[in-house]
Amino acid sequence: MNPLGQLSVVAAFSVPNGHELITAIVSGLLLGGLFAVTALGLSLVFGVMRLINLVHGELIVLGAYLAYVLFDHAGIDPLVGMLIVAPAMFVIGYPIQRVLLNPLIEKGMEPALLTTFGLSIIAQNLFILIFSGDTQSLSPGYASDSLSFAGITVPAVYGISFVFALVLTGATHTVLQRTAVGRAVRASSEDPVAAGVMGVDVRRTYGFVYGFAALCAGIGGVLVGLCFSFTPTSGTIYLLTGFAVVVLGGLGSVKGTLLGGLTLGIVESVGSTFFGDGYRDFIGLVAFLIILSLRPQGFFGRAA
Amino acid sequence: MSSDTRRARPRRLLPLAASVLLAATVVLGLSACGSSSSGGSSGDKVVIGAAIPISGELAGFGSFEKWGYEHAVDAVNKKGGLEVDGEKKEVELQLLDDKSDPNTDSASVQRLISQDKVNAVLGSCTPPLVNAGAVIAERSRIPFVTPCEPLGAFRAVKEWEYAWAIFFDEKEDTENTFKMLEDLGLADQTNKKVAILHDNEPDGINFSKLWEEAAQKFGYDVVLDEQFPVAQTTFNTTVTKAKASGADIVLGQMVTPAAIAVRKTMAAQGYTPKVMALEKGDEPIQFAEAVGDLANGLLIPTYWDPSFPYPGAANLKKEFEADTGQTYSQHIADTTAAAEVLLAAIEAAGSTEAEAINKAIGETNMETVVGPVEFAEDHTATLPLVEAQWQNGESIVVWPEDKATGKIIFPLP
Repeated sequence: MNPLGQLSVVAAFSVPNGHELITAIVSGLLLGGLFAVTALGLSLVFGVMRLINLVHGELIVLGAYLAYVLFDHAGIDPLVGMLIVAPAMFVIGYPIQRVLLNPLIEKGMEPALLTTFGLSIIAQNLFILIFSGDTQSLSPGYASDSLSFAGITVPAVYGISFVFALVLTGATHTVLQRTAVGRAVRASSEDPVAAGVMGVDVRRTYGFVYGFAALCAGIGGVLVGLCFSFTPTSGTIYLLTGFAVVVLGGLGSVKGTLLGGLTLGIVESVGSTFFGDGYRDFIGLVAFLIILSLRPQGFFGRAA
Repeated sequence: MSSDTRRARPRRLLPLAASVLLAATVVLGLSACGSSSSGGSSGDKVVIGAAIPISGELAGFGSFEKWGYEHAVDAVNKKGGLEVDGEKKEVELQLLDDKSDPNTDSASVQRLISQDKVNAVLGSCTPPLVNAGAVIAERSRIPFVTPCEPLGAFRAVKEWEYAWAIFFDEKEDTENTFKMLEDLGLADQTNKKVAILHDNEPDGINFSKLWEEAAQKFGYDVVLDEQFPVAQTTFNTTVTKAKASGADIVLGQMVTPAAIAVRKTMAAQGYTPKVMALEKGDEPIQFAEAVGDLANGLLIPTYWDPSFPYPGAANLKKEFEADTGQTYSQHIADTTAAAEVLLAAIEAAGSTEAEAINKAIGETNMETVVGPVEFAEDHTATLPLVEAQWQNGESIVVWPEDKATGKIIFPLP
């Protein structure tokens, strides 16, 4: 990084007017929805299996590539294509947990963690092999449409991402709270041995959770492809953002993931109106550290 | 109980994850994905190597570089190889993926020199990657010929002894947009306000400075100069500022993922300037494919087109498209030419000794597919530029008029 270049960015500091500030808040709120969607699977896997899923970023990118193939080769709109991508991601994710990770979890977390790391490298190389290293993007007509209200203009795909964030986190919360599957997941999370004694098939439940996490990652990937662009190695960026969101919201908390995503989106967006887009990550990380110093357990985490 | 799914926080996991991520960075940084058989230089072969961006943000260039280098080497081998030490020797090309990362590039070039024992090295693309490899070759006193690095950035590093560059000069590039608008009588149809958007790589910083100078020289007003990190993906604020500035001309320097995000964000915010170029990023065909119709009208500084009167120019395009089934890029020409220059120098030297090859490169004076190549004292050979524009997925030369293959789209649709 060129220090002189950074100085010129600092020199570009400007105080936004009220309209710019409101636009930034709305835009950040909507973009935060995308952050929440891409982090939800990471949060679930950590919350239930205590596994930091280092292949999560590649699952996001895989979702984007699947939507790209459907869109580019079959002309299926990416949002419609989600009806295929989401179950496909579940089908891919479920055996990863059942076949690869479940046997390792019993031997401690480190083997499983390293396995997900290995999977991420394998996935990146497979993406290059199959799709080349080229930058791709999902660009149906509405990807460049805008939403305008009260003088505020934001990309329509941010709005779509926000709706998906509300629906996905709401549905996940409801499933966990009000269904038998949710009870099994919570029981497996709290005490897998006791859950097993009570008749819960813990291994199957873990597989279900990982599959659902992959499904969420796939949906996040489609939204990333619509909003931005992606390459075989883009997953790392979304893994790191996901870490920030999950820790900010409280490890393993669904509500926290939503709030963490929205907070990060707003803070980065508002901060960028003062310092420029070049300082988004910097501002987000500073805010992340400040919030954690005040509330180390995150928004919805339990105090130690 | 809420929807919380957590158990007691495992204290060991976060530090472990951080360690693994760090290890990943190191491992990924050092490992290079070879696309050619391994093996060191032997007496019966001439071995040349290159680390190029097969993956990462600059992969859009790497695929064309790979083809260009392989094409030139294949052409020589089809003729029986190079006449070296009194006998014909086959040329072996070692290609590694630098993953668009300067650290990986320098490690890869080091590996090519110390492990694969290459006789000479061909360059990557863009200043951070090319310079990273060039300084390693220079230190090892191994000849290094590169395309794809603007010459000002190449000259700025040092006085080179073993590195040579064939490409365009950024000063000419940054002035050409303004010259073109004047020549075509379009300057007065803009408000002469310019917004500059660029990343913080040497290319971006250098272009920003040169655009400011060129704008002043041609009577334009730079109303915004916005800088961002090279990996930036979100450009809401940048585009909001550009739109608020009212600039009719947007000039950018960034990698392809950023260019795609900027173009999509501009469209989503309803900001359509009259003239736009997102240099480097908007050049690969992958950009045009990714944004579709939004590519129409974007300018591309162009040093080569199949219509140019250079030997084999039209044929090169046909060969590339027949080989790959993909749309060509001008990068097939400068990479082919760079490899041809190096191979010709090895044959002229009649030896695989580094000093002899380096001397022969300096004496190069040949017609290539990208134009005549003769190196100046500062080890650069300049390719003259024209302006092209994306029009329905094709790069069309629109200026100067005597080289134009189509009419300019103005204003931006």
